[in-house]
Amino acid sequence: MDSSILRQLKKIAGKDAVLDRPEELMLYEYDAGVDKHRPGAVVFAQTTQQVSQIMKLASDKKIPVVPRGAGTGLSGGAIARREAIVLSLARMNKILEIDVPNQRAVVQPGVVNLELSNATTKYGYYYAPDPSSQKACTIGGNVAENSGGPHTLALGVTVNHVTGLEIVLPDGKVVEFGGKAQDSTGLDLTGFFVGSEGTMGVVTRITVKLTKLPEHVTTLLGIYNTVEDAANTVVAITQSGVTPAALEMLDGWMVRCVEANVHAGYPEDAAAVLLIELEGMREVVEEQARAVSEVCLQQKAREVRHAKDEKQRQLLWLGRKTAFGAVGRVSCSYYTQDGVIPRTKVPYTLAEIERISKKYELIIGNVFHAGDGNLHPLILFDSRNPEQAENSRKAAKEIMACCLKFGGSITGEHGVGLEKMGLMTAMFTEDDLEVMVRLRNAFNPESILNPQKMIPDLHFCREITGPLPKAKVEPVAGVPV
Amino acid sequence: MNTAGMSAVTSPASLDRELAAIVGEGHVRGTGFEINGVIPAAVVHPGSPEEVGAILQLANERGLVVAPAGGLTRQQIGGVPERIDILLNTTRLNQIEEYDPGDLTIAVAAGMPFAEMQRRLEEHQQWVPCDAANLEQSTIGGLVATGAAGPLKSTFGHMRDFLIGVQFVTADGKVVKGGGRVVKNVAGYDLMKLLTGSYGSLAVITRANFKVFPRPRQTRTFVCPFRSLDEAMQFRTRLFQSPLTPMCMEIISPRAMEYLRDSGPVHDPDDYAPEQPLSLPAIEWQIVLRAAGSDNVLARYARELGATVARTLEGTREEQYWRWISHFEQNVLSRHRNAMVMYTHLAIQSVGPALQAMERAAPDYNLIPAAVGRAATGNLVLAFMPLSVDPPSAMQYANCVSAFRGMLPPGSSAEVAHCPKEAKPHFDVWGTTPTDVKMMRAVKRAIDPKNILNRGRFIV
Repeated sequence: MDSSILRQLKKIAGKDAVLDRPEELMLYEYDAGVDKHRPGAVVFAQTTQQVSQIMKLASDKKIPVVPRGAGTGLSGGAIARREAIVLSLARMNKILEIDVPNQRAVVQPGVVNLELSNATTKYGYYYAPDPSSQKACTIGGNVAENSGGPHTLALGVTVNHVTGLEIVLPDGKVVEFGGKAQDSTGLDLTGFFVGSEGTMGVVTRITVKLTKLPEHVTTLLGIYNTVEDAANTVVAITQSGVTPAALEMLDGWMVRCVEANVHAGYPEDAAAVLLIELEGMREVVEEQARAVSEVCLQQKAREVRHAKDEKQRQLLWLGRKTAFGAVGRVSCSYYTQDGVIPRTKVPYTLAEIERISKKYELIIGNVFHAGDGNLHPLILFDSRNPEQAENSRKAAKEIMACCLKFGGSITGEHGVGLEKMGLMTAMFTEDDLEVMVRLRNAFNPESILNPQKMIPDLHFCREITGPLPKAKVEPVAGVPV
Repeated sequence: MNTAGMSAVTSPASLDRELAAIVGEGHVRGTGFEINGVIPAAVVHPGSPEEVGAILQLANERGLVVAPAGGLTRQQIGGVPERIDILLNTTRLNQIEEYDPGDLTIAVAAGMPFAEMQRRLEEHQQWVPCDAANLEQSTIGGLVATGAAGPLKSTFGHMRDFLIGVQFVTADGKVVKGGGRVVKNVAGYDLMKLLTGSYGSLAVITRANFKVFPRPRQTRTFVCPFRSLDEAMQFRTRLFQSPLTPMCMEIISPRAMEYLRDSGPVHDPDDYAPEQPLSLPAIEWQIVLRAAGSDNVLARYARELGATVARTLEGTREEQYWRWISHFEQNVLSRHRNAMVMYTHLAIQSVGPALQAMERAAPDYNLIPAAVGRAATGNLVLAFMPLSVDPPSAMQYANCVSAFRGMLPPGSSAEVAHCPKEAKPHFDVWGTTPTDVKMMRAVKRAIDPKNILNRGRFIV
């Protein structure tokens, strides 16, 4: 990075807020996904004004900027290239206001997801979206990715919980979208911005809804001798008229993997388990728990266990929330998919994944948001074995093809980022993508912000955006194209 | 205001011929339908998204102004257009394209009346939880475009929250899509959020994919009267703190009760003649709750609400009552041709102050105020009825709106959905909004650079 740029960044954000030594930059070259690139510099903004000045500088000098929260993303959205600046919002981590009467909180983007709930439960409220990385991920990052989580089945994903945003545009201008009201007159730019993966602006302040803590919560564990029975239960519960707060599935391999790691209390000989959470008024939860248990047993569940107390409930969830980490103990590399399918297709798709697993002789573990049809097959491979690495790519491609065949999506909650950009053309036509590019250009006309992410660089982009930024998209190892 | 501004390059007759070449002779026909006094030069009924594309391409090349339309139930909302060259009616696009009850999703062509889709869903005890007014006539595309909602918004949100995929045609005639047919999807920008409530200013919606919900099997309604707005608001606070989670929570102002009933034939749409004499003090505010669940759950509501409840409704009377709430605005307008209706967007704690502001602003301008709305989300429908003895002038509507908006807490917005068209040129019907309007315009320019879609009618 040009030393005069570094000097100016230090002038804006402070001497201790800019990193440029290789050993420092190494820590910012990856996220929780598969891609790796070392940025040119990292700057930590502490105020909206600093973000604005940094963006203005970057715009003037035509330097790409990649906003970053905690770096827990799974699709490479926060990965920057050599000539780019990583703009970290991690130090903008204050909860600015907890407004209980209006059921809102106003936070800076670097506030960690779980910390907001921890700060509000004493008032009887919490922040509902709960990505598995909620102990580390930031709300700014959640806004960029429109993050989901197990409990978004009934309550919706991030976009359903954000009512206001302060945004710094690429030229440094600060704009406001929405506020504490549920909605406002005119276009819903707040909703449109959420999930734009850092390609439209840098979020510097977020107003979110706080959700009333439910009176009662119950967690059930349905235990199955076949994956098929568990998958059929998911369809049957959905059709029964009950919407659980969460409906998660782990297959037998994942169950054993998780048990070895945290001893969550899942039976190790099960072929699959369903983790079903019900919440609301006590009477509602009790009735639903009875109804759901019945459905499970009708669908040949071997056993349905109720968590006896809060400790047991937390333990069951610990197993689910640490599942990805548990896989890390048994395999040096794994590749997580995020495909979505219509819910009735869950049984068929799981059978397909099983077939694909056998075909390529790869272990594929399944732990996912079954109620939404949002699959997370984890393909295990040894990256030192080129044949396995190659096969994992092929397997991933076949799984995605299966999802798309049913009118599904390539990503339910992890985002497109760098990782799935090549798959966008499998879901969208050039005309679809062109409209998206035009809209992005309304915010980010020169692709200063997070360039070459999300929307593949098709020929028309050049026609519309004028000169391309310098970097080129290169195929990255481990990513199916 | 008339159609004199019709584009010089095309005479109405030749435009009709060109449109007929796209959609067939029988599908270009006038209706005499006026939008705030402006009669569209041509009315066209395309039979496919591709035909919509061809029409828009033609319009875009010529710079013709297009008004997308469905059931014509919400066309009077917004500014007075300078001219409308083509009214593009989508009602021939009226098929359910895909519905598997097990998936809890449905894909429907935009011109289908909402109620028709809802009946199909009801066969499987499912629904799209939208209870806006006029669902028999209103098309799905129109409801999405206007972001229409009713009391169910309290729990379920509105179209933006159910719409999981959308097909639309851009001003230059391209048929494109956003989202998909699955309930969770972050691939690409969320065009569903952008189009919901865009009032036809960005694109013509041709198909909508919704996530659908299991329909509650049993509900009950509890009417809770209070002697003042303050008491009603205090009750709302207690509700928020209680474990109860009602499906709907409406606040009803004293004068609004007049419009929550079937009114007799209207003799004079200019005459304000309430069944309750005006001389009686109108002080009773109501909070009306609708709860869903088993007998056991509903019994808990009755127990916890106790003596606050004056009336309990169920069955057909309950359904009727909620239809009246959804049609409050229509009932007002059928009784008072010159009434003004506003929609508010408020923070929860701004509901009380906004209602007070309405009560204070209206009488100063010879208007009688009435309100019905979502007490838990701040989406109120405010009606201002003119007094027959001394009806307000056009300027007085403007002054009333300005006085009312001036009293709203910061961060609020309130658009005028209906008022006499003669009053509209005197003020901004959309008003100010917390969302950056320059950015809205940039978005509009990005996909309708020639501004052919609903020019002059929406905020952008």
